[in-house]
Amino acid sequence: MDLFDYSLFISAIRMVSPILLAALGGALCARVGIFNVGLEGLILAGAFSAIVGNHYSGSVFVAVLSGAAGAVLVSLLFGIVTIKFKANAIVAGIAVNFLVLGLTTFLLRALFDVKGAYYDKNMEGLPKWDIPLIEHIPVIGKLISGHSPLVYIAFLAAILLYVYLYRTVAGFRLLAVGKNLSASKSMGLKVTAIQYGAVLMSGVLCGLAGAQLSLGQVTMFTEGMTAGRGFIALVAMMLGQSHPIGILGSSMLFGLMDALSVRLQGFSVPTQFTAMLPYLITIIAMFFLKDKGSDSQLSGQQSTR
Amino acid sequence: MKLQRILQQSFKSLAQPLLAVLIGILTGALAISFIGESVWDTYKVMWNGAFGSFYFVTATLARATPIIFIGVGLALAFRAGVFNLGAEGQMVLGAVAAALAALFIPGPGIVKILSALAAGILAGGLWALLAAWMEARFKIQLLISTLLLNYVAVLFAGYLVAQPFQDKTGSAALAQTSMLGQAAWLPKLFPGMSLHFGFIMAIICAIILYFILRFTSAGYEVRMLGHNPFFAEYGGINKTKVLFVSMFFSGGIAGLAGTAEVLGSQYRYVEGALTVPGYAWTGLMAALLANSNPLGTAVAAILLAALQTGAMGMERNTEVPLEIASVIQGVLILFISAKFTFNWWNLRKKAGAANGSV
Amino acid sequence: MTYRLEMNDMTKKYGDFLANDGVSIKLKKGEVLAIVGENGAGKTTLMRMLYGLEQPTSGEIFLNGKSVHFTGPEDGIEHGIGMVHQHFMLFPDFTVAENIVIGREPKSYGFFNRKAASEAVQKLVEQYRISVNPARKAGDCSVGEQQRIEILKVLYQGADIIILDEPTAVLTPAEVDELLNTVRFLASQGKSIILITHKLREVMKVADQITVLRNGRVTGQVKKAETTADELAQLMVGRELQELSERDQLEGAPLLEVKEITIGINSSKPVLDNVSLMVNRGEILGIAGVSGNGQSELIQAISGLKKVDAGSILLDSKDVTGTTVAFRRNAGISHIPEDRYLWGAAKEGSIVDNGLMGYYKQKKFNRNSVLLKNAFRSKVSGWISRFEIKAASMDDQAGNLSGGNLQKLIVARELGFETDFLIAAEPTRGVDIGAMEYIHEALLAKRNNGDGILLVSSELSEIMALSDRIAVMYEGKIAGLLDRKDATEEKLSVLMAGGKENEASKNTAAIV
Repeated sequence: MDLFDYSLFISAIRMVSPILLAALGGALCARVGIFNVGLEGLILAGAFSAIVGNHYSGSVFVAVLSGAAGAVLVSLLFGIVTIKFKANAIVAGIAVNFLVLGLTTFLLRALFDVKGAYYDKNMEGLPKWDIPLIEHIPVIGKLISGHSPLVYIAFLAAILLYVYLYRTVAGFRLLAVGKNLSASKSMGLKVTAIQYGAVLMSGVLCGLAGAQLSLGQVTMFTEGMTAGRGFIALVAMMLGQSHPIGILGSSMLFGLMDALSVRLQGFSVPTQFTAMLPYLITIIAMFFLKDKGSDSQLSGQQSTR
Repeated sequence: MKLQRILQQSFKSLAQPLLAVLIGILTGALAISFIGESVWDTYKVMWNGAFGSFYFVTATLARATPIIFIGVGLALAFRAGVFNLGAEGQMVLGAVAAALAALFIPGPGIVKILSALAAGILAGGLWALLAAWMEARFKIQLLISTLLLNYVAVLFAGYLVAQPFQDKTGSAALAQTSMLGQAAWLPKLFPGMSLHFGFIMAIICAIILYFILRFTSAGYEVRMLGHNPFFAEYGGINKTKVLFVSMFFSGGIAGLAGTAEVLGSQYRYVEGALTVPGYAWTGLMAALLANSNPLGTAVAAILLAALQTGAMGMERNTEVPLEIASVIQGVLILFISAKFTFNWWNLRKKAGAANGSV
Repeated sequence: MTYRLEMNDMTKKYGDFLANDGVSIKLKKGEVLAIVGENGAGKTTLMRMLYGLEQPTSGEIFLNGKSVHFTGPEDGIEHGIGMVHQHFMLFPDFTVAENIVIGREPKSYGFFNRKAASEAVQKLVEQYRISVNPARKAGDCSVGEQQRIEILKVLYQGADIIILDEPTAVLTPAEVDELLNTVRFLASQGKSIILITHKLREVMKVADQITVLRNGRVTGQVKKAETTADELAQLMVGRELQELSERDQLEGAPLLEVKEITIGINSSKPVLDNVSLMVNRGEILGIAGVSGNGQSELIQAISGLKKVDAGSILLDSKDVTGTTVAFRRNAGISHIPEDRYLWGAAKEGSIVDNGLMGYYKQKKFNRNSVLLKNAFRSKVSGWISRFEIKAASMDDQAGNLSGGNLQKLIVARELGFETDFLIAAEPTRGVDIGAMEYIHEALLAKRNNGDGILLVSSELSEIMALSDRIAVMYEGKIAGLLDRKDATEEKLSVLMAGGKENEASKNTAAIV
């Protein structure tokens, strides 16, 4: 077995999409001054509600929608607490993670009467889209074609978010809110609505990330199946400086490492070190980056009480 | 007039936690009835699981031990004005260092125990100090660096016990160190119960920190730095030094949490034994619940531990799953962090003013 | 003719405190109305109600004869009211054009047309003769330019009524003149201007109408043509200002010597450039200058908060360069900071804790690292009664004190060290007249006691009233040093704007 081959990159692309989607969601929040540590919980909520939707409707489309809806509900709660009630976003994010972990496991028991994981072979997973023409190109075809729609949506979302932030008026205003809240208020921008919009949109993106997790490869839900992906996404967001294209890059890097660490298990290299890489790279990058995470109002100093 | 002020203030500071607890209990009740169980009976079972007998009380306190340590350590960092999110990594490194020290440092039990404690504090403290140094020297946000360093620490500890220091004696290759010699064990407080000497240490730790913060000049420096770093600097406080010392002890106490678990409960470092129960996050919540007051943090830690042991008891005896504890905890923290008493108080003030003008 | 703006009987209560009590103003098209008053007289509250940032407790606002009711700043903007805030509301990372158009961006299909934005701004620049570069980043602009961006912003929004809140505090004298010209030009173009200030010289230059506020009430409404600066001052303060005590003639030895210090030695424009000065015992040395010309850095260098790249600082002939803040405090430097909330206090801390800063290591208050709070409480209660600090309790949060009372607490704390040398930076910024007189008197008493004071203030009147000698800072350098008896406002103004001393005397000669 080779260390690098097509299947490595194919699995990397597959692993990128949940991280990328969630990191974009996190970036939206960061851009309006809310540091969203609750991505993990939001993805988990999305993964679970997608399975619930699938179970009750039997339609993948409805499943994806319900995945998004579930995460949006949680993000709404997060938004109300942080925006309306001025809670510390970090604390609220941690609480959301706890809440969703407990709630999904609890509901797994309540709804499906199972513990640990829910799997039903009758459930349909996400389709694989073969892209005409491209699929026949030798190397690239294998790489680009044949993924679930959510993989394509993830990449599209990064580009759309870039256009939104840097080309549209609404995106410009969103950036303004994150850069200077009181100035935005004084200019009559609807600051609260913009913040809610960003938080809810991050719910949608995380919901899609969750749906990709629970419907993408094997159609099943496992307790805590996000396994830290929300935090990896958060790290990807930091490394990408909350810039859509930067996040695209960092997510791909982390996806590759994720795939690599799975591959390396066959090579008796301690996987702990490959798993460590995203965090180490991000820490090292922070020494050089201009924005050291102190952008906008997410500074932790003085805000613990 | 004065009494009224005091009453108002204590009401103000208590109203929010009480309201949050109430909402937490209500959410739990909602979840229980969703499953179709009796709310009252379930809560009763839960109570019994946490405090129902002497055995359960000691089990609760045993579970509270690492949470108290973590919470108290974090309270120190919070008081100094930095958001240490790295308790997990600090705890795990402390635990693995303590286990290795107790295994490999020769000598009688007491030497092993003391060197394990020192190693635990040192490992956790230095790990926290690394983040503090990056903050002071390179302005890398401590909040973020500590979060990132958690993963590095946990993975590194996992590597240590999966590769070089793995216990090779057992038949199954588990990721854990060998068992410590019995001489290095912390004594149990009551025969046959899980509660060990670490609990006493945790409580002493909370009391000492309370005293230091409240009555000493070092504590004053920490508090002022937390209130306003510019003011502290202007007043002649060495900002960097106080930050470093606070973070070192914050991490060191988290390291003690791991050490106490290793010496008093697991008798070895087992991968996941400290991270899976979420001690670090629960400790964080305890500190937040108590507004970083060390004594309050200890009380909050015991309550949160009781919630968890109670939920375990509940799971044994009813159909309600254990995770209801996470739900209640999540809701509790969500509503503790919200600042609505403040708003509500202001509204009342405004309303009062408006009435006055009519 | 109907007035463009009428505010009738405006009242605003905060709890028991009457910030505005039955204030009425009227404003016509093309008119400049100055609202003058001391700090805390209620000027800002009145304007915040007009702009929709605060809801009046009672009172009515009419625009062009129609009653209006505002709930937020967007309502104010909607009705053609624009406010130029004292603290600029800018996005440093955005370009000038982006800063100006935000909220009303030119767009097509939701996309931001940045080219059209630039053109629109360019048009405004030409129409109102206000010069800025639309493509520049706002953060790179000078203070004067940033203010012009703010004015263009409200013009772009189509404001007919423009509120300028203390616009000249941060400007050089030349920039002030340019601003006043702009104000007159805008008025001639049919805009109505409300100028909020406490600087009477400027009022007498540009205003048509003047409304004077004191303690939330109107104490005078006059036409400029029918009043004098003296009369306005009288209306503002409500009584004769107290004369300062006599200053004793003292011949003191040198106390603080600053020798050729530089900060930012590698930059083309060091924030402190080879600054030397000396403060003698029994002397107040005033540092005048437009804020941002190196005064903050000078204070920080002397107090030990900032390292100097070159030069030395001597206190009582002992070299203290490179020592810590704590060392210098022990050596005898106390320090009233320029920004009481940033440097001078911990708002969340108790009054006792705030007072304890700097004292907590003294033997009287500290036994083996344990704080002796009772000993300290009696000291603080002494300050509270001597300086008449109005506080609910010593355990109350310092943030609950009013600005003036907190400043008095800080002044009491720093005077309480009884050091030979004191840095007093903006000692009366934002405090009421009573507190100001009190603090001035305390500073003068310290001087008469034979101690040395370095007084830094952006208020020329304060500098001139208290100082024995006056140094002027401009772009990180000492632009000139004048004796008390030689210092005139004109001379100082010229130096503050970067002119030379002899130019100043030439100019004054020309005026005389």
